[in-house]
Amino acid sequence: MAKVLVIADIKRGEVKRSTAELLAKARSIGAETAVVAIGNNLEALIPGLVSAGSESQYVADDLGLELFSAAPYASCIVDAANQFGADQIWFASTESGKAVAPRVAARLGVACATDITDVTSTGDNIEITRPAIANKVIQRVKINSEKLVAVVRAGAFEMTAEGAGGSEKVIRLAAPPADLGAVVKELIADASGDIDLGDAAIVVSVGRGVKDQKGIDLVKALADDLGAGFGTSRAMVDSGLMGHNKQVGQTGKIVAPKLYIAVGISGAIQHLSGMTGSQVIVAVNNDPEAPIFNVADYGIVGDLFEVVPILRQQIKNIKK
Amino acid sequence: MKILTTVKKVVDVELTIRVESGAIVEEGLQYVMNAWDENAVEASVQLKENNGAETTLVSIGGGDDNIQIIRRGYAMGIDNGVQVDDPLLAGADSFVLARVLQKVCEKGSYDLIITGKQAQDTDNGQTGIILAENLGIPCVSNVVAMDVIDDKHIKATRLGDGGKEIVEVTLPAVVTVSDSINEPRLPQMRGLMMAKKKKIDVMDLAALGTSLDEVGGKDIRSEIVEFSRSQARKAGKKYEGDAAQITAQVVDLLVNEAKVL
Repeated sequence: MAKVLVIADIKRGEVKRSTAELLAKARSIGAETAVVAIGNNLEALIPGLVSAGSESQYVADDLGLELFSAAPYASCIVDAANQFGADQIWFASTESGKAVAPRVAARLGVACATDITDVTSTGDNIEITRPAIANKVIQRVKINSEKLVAVVRAGAFEMTAEGAGGSEKVIRLAAPPADLGAVVKELIADASGDIDLGDAAIVVSVGRGVKDQKGIDLVKALADDLGAGFGTSRAMVDSGLMGHNKQVGQTGKIVAPKLYIAVGISGAIQHLSGMTGSQVIVAVNNDPEAPIFNVADYGIVGDLFEVVPILRQQIKNIKK
Repeated sequence: MKILTTVKKVVDVELTIRVESGAIVEEGLQYVMNAWDENAVEASVQLKENNGAETTLVSIGGGDDNIQIIRRGYAMGIDNGVQVDDPLLAGADSFVLARVLQKVCEKGSYDLIITGKQAQDTDNGQTGIILAENLGIPCVSNVVAMDVIDDKHIKATRLGDGGKEIVEVTLPAVVTVSDSINEPRLPQMRGLMMAKKKKIDVMDLAALGTSLDEVGGKDIRSEIVEFSRSQARKAGKKYEGDAAQITAQVVDLLVNEAKVL
């Protein structure tokens, strides 16, 4: 039986949904599963790691691992992978995952595939699929090494009821040495009230159509009403109106929520490749020719300053 | 300070990509410098302007397009260009490319290696990080700002999962940059004219002092077996007219048809 090691996606002291999604996929292909959790003060998270569907839990819990640092995190994963005898090592599509996965593959001397949407293994043959060229094509890739390190695209694997529930078997990992060549001096944390874009069931994004801060505030209110993550397009980041961490697209975050509402976003290819995995897309734009309408399930052609307040009112009405 | 910047030739993603019989149709494709590598070039030229540096660019691949891309780097302000052109590298994966770049690095003893965080064609985002592992030097990926502290140290700001991570890096090191780091300059006509006259150091694997075997090219870890077209999302319905009326209609559909509200 194949052994799959999943890297726990932990943010602000919480095990993220993606961890359970990856474990569910591993179990659906009949693999033995383990999870590796890295950070500081992780004791309280262990039950969550078990219920996410892992059969053993490798835990690297150390003050020195409080802040993300790619080299020591990679050391922990290599350690866990060797102890577990992992055939495949899966990361969720996070910035830390993207930074660590190639290192782990380099150290283990195995293949690395990022942004994968599926993985199949028949006998000794592993194949993955992944989008490329800004989502315009799908690659089918044959893995020649015996093992695989993979970063899984957001929304690719679904959580299943059968996947839930594991068993507790905790293995403590020794703390690796710090990376003295790249010392994390400080973390300027994102505002704590923000809903994580990767987790949100609904994402509302703003584009250049909102013009200024007043426009942003208007759309943010809609996001707040919906309990939605709040994203943006590259143009808004470049103009300094929105932070980098809010950018949805090929170069920013890739999201796949249940509902994506694009407000005042024209729909450059770069943005589209970050959100077309969404289940339902709504676009609000005053230009009926805007490319965003080519991917939207429901397009509202109109002035966002007029439409958004109505949208908020309508949504309030149905929530009553 | 000696800076090496890696640049890759990629297909222009704005154009239509056709797929036939499991392969991308070459005809009609156009090639450009990978957008993130333009950011990498801009970052190294800015370091040269502000702190003084000797800047070198390396590109793996052949053809006239690749020459044009290197010349574009010159026109943006890069001092030296290296082209590794060897048909043996046609099927190279990230690990092979990283080994080739390692050979280039070992020849030049660079203090800082700047790469784009990923390439627009493959979207892999691996080569720079693997290069650092191979060289055994620090690496900071997804960098959105960079400042020189002194000859041996830089401060790199990385966009991480929880916010901005401020990292003090000891050189030599690899930095992979996000497109948020800068706005690449457009080469001016004069720069482009000058760039035409500049020499490009072209070498194959043998000239680089290595072989396909040594860079792992005979034992590639992964290979693309087939391309297919992504299933394009179909355009849904557009609603035009009275804002209140169409908005109500869409909200109703989201509740009763799509069942997402």
